[in-house]
Amino acid sequence: MTTGALIFAQNTVGVDYVKLALFAARRVKEHLKIPVSLATDSFDWLKFYPDHTEVFDQIIPIVGNTNQLKKFYDGTLAFKTAEWKNLTRYQAYDITPYDRTLVLDSDYIINSDTLVKALNNDYSFQIFRKSFDLALDRNDKTFQRINQYSIPFYWGTVFIFEKTASTRSLFDLIEYIKQNWDYFRFIYKIETPTFRNDFAFSIAIHIMNGNTEGDFAQELPGLMTYTLDRDILVDMKNNKMKFLVEKAHYPGEYTLVSTNETDVHVMNKQSLTRFIDGGSGV
Amino acid sequence: MSKGFIVLAQNTDDVDYVKQAYALALSIHATQSETAISIITNNNVPEEYQEVFDQIIPIPWTEGTDSRYVAEHRWKIYHVTPYDETIVLDTDMLMLEDINDWWWYCQDHDLLFCTQVLNYKGEIIDNSIYRKTFIANNLPSPYFALHYFKKSEQAEYFYKVLEFVVNNWAWCYGKLASEFYQDWLSMDLAAAIALELCGYNDRADICSPLRFVHMKPGVQGWQPIPASWQNTIPYSFTKAGQLTIGNIKQPYLFHYVEKDFIGVDIISKLKRLVNG
Repeated sequence: MTTGALIFAQNTVGVDYVKLALFAARRVKEHLKIPVSLATDSFDWLKFYPDHTEVFDQIIPIVGNTNQLKKFYDGTLAFKTAEWKNLTRYQAYDITPYDRTLVLDSDYIINSDTLVKALNNDYSFQIFRKSFDLALDRNDKTFQRINQYSIPFYWGTVFIFEKTASTRSLFDLIEYIKQNWDYFRFIYKIETPTFRNDFAFSIAIHIMNGNTEGDFAQELPGLMTYTLDRDILVDMKNNKMKFLVEKAHYPGEYTLVSTNETDVHVMNKQSLTRFIDGGSGV
Repeated sequence: MSKGFIVLAQNTDDVDYVKQAYALALSIHATQSETAISIITNNNVPEEYQEVFDQIIPIPWTEGTDSRYVAEHRWKIYHVTPYDETIVLDTDMLMLEDINDWWWYCQDHDLLFCTQVLNYKGEIIDNSIYRKTFIANNLPSPYFALHYFKKSEQAEYFYKVLEFVVNNWAWCYGKLASEFYQDWLSMDLAAAIALELCGYNDRADICSPLRFVHMKPGVQGWQPIPASWQNTIPYSFTKAGQLTIGNIKQPYLFHYVEKDFIGVDIISKLKRLVNG
């Protein structure tokens, strides 16, 4: 049985996801000791990173366009609206070169070997359900259920799957949900017309569980620790990260927090990019 | 040992509780291995309803009623039940799955109350919001709408004490539930006081499997709290007897609360399930 990681990177005008994927892949290889493949439609960008051949096991072409736009914040006070290419995640089952695959976003930074245990257990599908906001006191209800009327929220950011008939069904279902997004968002009372992988995974898992609480999806160990795009990455050294996180109810005011040997979802891609480029992230 | 469900129904000008009991009885026949259910009522039970009930039992020792939930007669359940082991239910409930394991768990007890209820999302309800009286007065927190008893000395004693509490509820509330005083007779609070007086606090067992989904809008985790859950969230009751609310399949026992929930559609589906 082969095990590896798969990172999706589809560059847009606003974000160089290939750069982020390279950074994230190095962290995966260092801590989890597994090969990493890149799924991308941005081949032209790879030439700017000649070391990508050393980092990535395989480069897998994907085609996925979108007319979705999203507001990307860079701290509280700056944002830009840019294209958001997030419609290809369901292809993970077909394109992965591995029997057992860790799929992660390019902005999920591995700082520990926590996921090693999950890579070596017998569960066929594992994903985060519980999360932890480094800002502590912000409203995190949007990450508990997809809305107050509906089903539990699962994070499409990181998951591990093994190729089985049931995980095949899951990914088929996610594609079906994507194709019929307006229908599903209507029956699950989702207000935003924007397709989100988190929602699609949540709905698909709920259906796989027979519309009830079930055990189709096992929870990944630990919590999905995250900072929002309104927060700022200040520094990262060894396995420690420092952030300025926005204070609840005080837009534009921040608290300094740090993590040690904790995997963190850094949603502020601009800040992460600045850090990778050699800046401080601020 | 005979086993069965029992339900007490007293129609009011607004609500046909006998019809609710009929729907509950149909749902029990559709889902349970133990299907005996008797109704305690002084109202007319239409002929078509009668066949689903094991026994139709008149309410004994009737007097005038003036309380908010017409609750005075419920202490009589123990004395008229035809079963050795009884699960007591409210009329505005539906059984959605076989709860045979409840009987199994309860057989080692003389008296057992449901103490935890769920909302439709499967979350255990934080009852500190609407059970302030229970908490402030250090009382157990039973739900009379779902409890089990066996014909036994302990259960008989409890029901005798409950009779006293029900008939002297204002005095008992003043003595044992004076914080956040309720000025009406509630069977939940009366049962809590009776358990306290009997020293039976452990009969409100937190490990008990007796649980139900409670559809009181205020406990669903919604803001703002709507007047009606039926007007807030889509639901469907299928021909197979599966109830989904907000696309979430409802388990075991469902307490729909809103009296207009049981309509022709649900009753006809239940009848088809029972009659094939």
